[in-house]
Amino acid sequence: MAAPVMKTVRGWSDLALGVRSAVLRLPGLSQVRWSRYSPEYRDPQIDKEYYRKPLAEQTEEQKFELELRKTQLIKAAPATKTGSVFEDPLISKFTNMMMKGGNKVLARSLMTKEAWGVLVHWIPWQTLEAVKRKQFEKYHAASPEERAAIERNPYTIFHQALKNCEPVIGLVPILKGGHFYQVPVPLSDRRRRFMAMKWMITECREKKPRRMLMPEKLSQELLEAFHNQGPVIRRKHDMHKMAEANRALAHYRWW
Amino acid sequence: MATPSLRGRLARLGNPRKPILKPSKPLILADRVGERRRERGEATCITEMSVMMACWKRNEFRDEACRKEIQDFFDCSSKAEAARKMRSVQGEYGNLPPKKVNMLLQRFPNKPHIS
Repeated sequence: MAAPVMKTVRGWSDLALGVRSAVLRLPGLSQVRWSRYSPEYRDPQIDKEYYRKPLAEQTEEQKFELELRKTQLIKAAPATKTGSVFEDPLISKFTNMMMKGGNKVLARSLMTKEAWGVLVHWIPWQTLEAVKRKQFEKYHAASPEERAAIERNPYTIFHQALKNCEPVIGLVPILKGGHFYQVPVPLSDRRRRFMAMKWMITECREKKPRRMLMPEKLSQELLEAFHNQGPVIRRKHDMHKMAEANRALAHYRWW
Repeated sequence: MATPSLRGRLARLGNPRKPILKPSKPLILADRVGERRRERGEATCITEMSVMMACWKRNEFRDEACRKEIQDFFDCSSKAEAARKMRSVQGEYGNLPPKKVNMLLQRFPNKPHIS
């Protein structure tokens, strides 16, 4: 029943229903960033648990929302967002930031193990696999007392490393009296996560030895950041020190 | 206060006296209102920030030693962010904010003609 409805909606999309018409905005100005979906389209709900909840457990508003979703138009889910247990939003975001020129296949193969669905022999290790292998080597070489302290799950290492790299406070150039001053300012969660990932990627791209591949360099940096050492952590501390030095300028902020 | 009267103020053929007002543009209502003067805000979370920085100075900028201060700073900044959002969403007390008024006036403009 849903499939023919969706087909006809897509067929109508040229005519009236789906397409955002240009007349809505000011005539003479063309939109740079636009989408084929008009405002009434809702975002898809990827989470399977949302639909598996038994009816008795749901509150009134959740029941209403479920009923509402049956009648509303919903956008197509992007190919990268799945409901699988292996999906990690942080890893996806990091892969997207590493991607160059839209080459998602390459970026994803560098990050995780899936490389074109075939075991690829000439790329020695992918990042997460490299991290895991290094930690296992350390584990097997260590004595039984030290073994409990060694973390082997590459996902926890990745998350912890990026959390250690996040700056607590940021600097913003503010114009006052004809000069730009670097003023310490609190950052939002999003911004901090972005800065950690950006620093990690820039560091690995620029300071890489010539013949070393990206997964190996990234795994090195991730392990160092996990132990609160290394160049990315040093960059975070430099940022903190600058903020501390400029703490008198904090009153230049107006928000 | 009622609008001051316009009788006999402009230079017209039927007006014997000297003009009181000499407007440079025709006296017709425009389809926009002026913007509200932005209030001078002050910086939030200064105390938490200085406490955190003092802790950093004592412990050589290690984050593990200053967890509590950092958490306080984050809480303060998220509260300030939420308060700022509430203020911008609520807008004016009695009247609409000037942006919304301009949007409405653009859609329903003043008619200088009689149609």
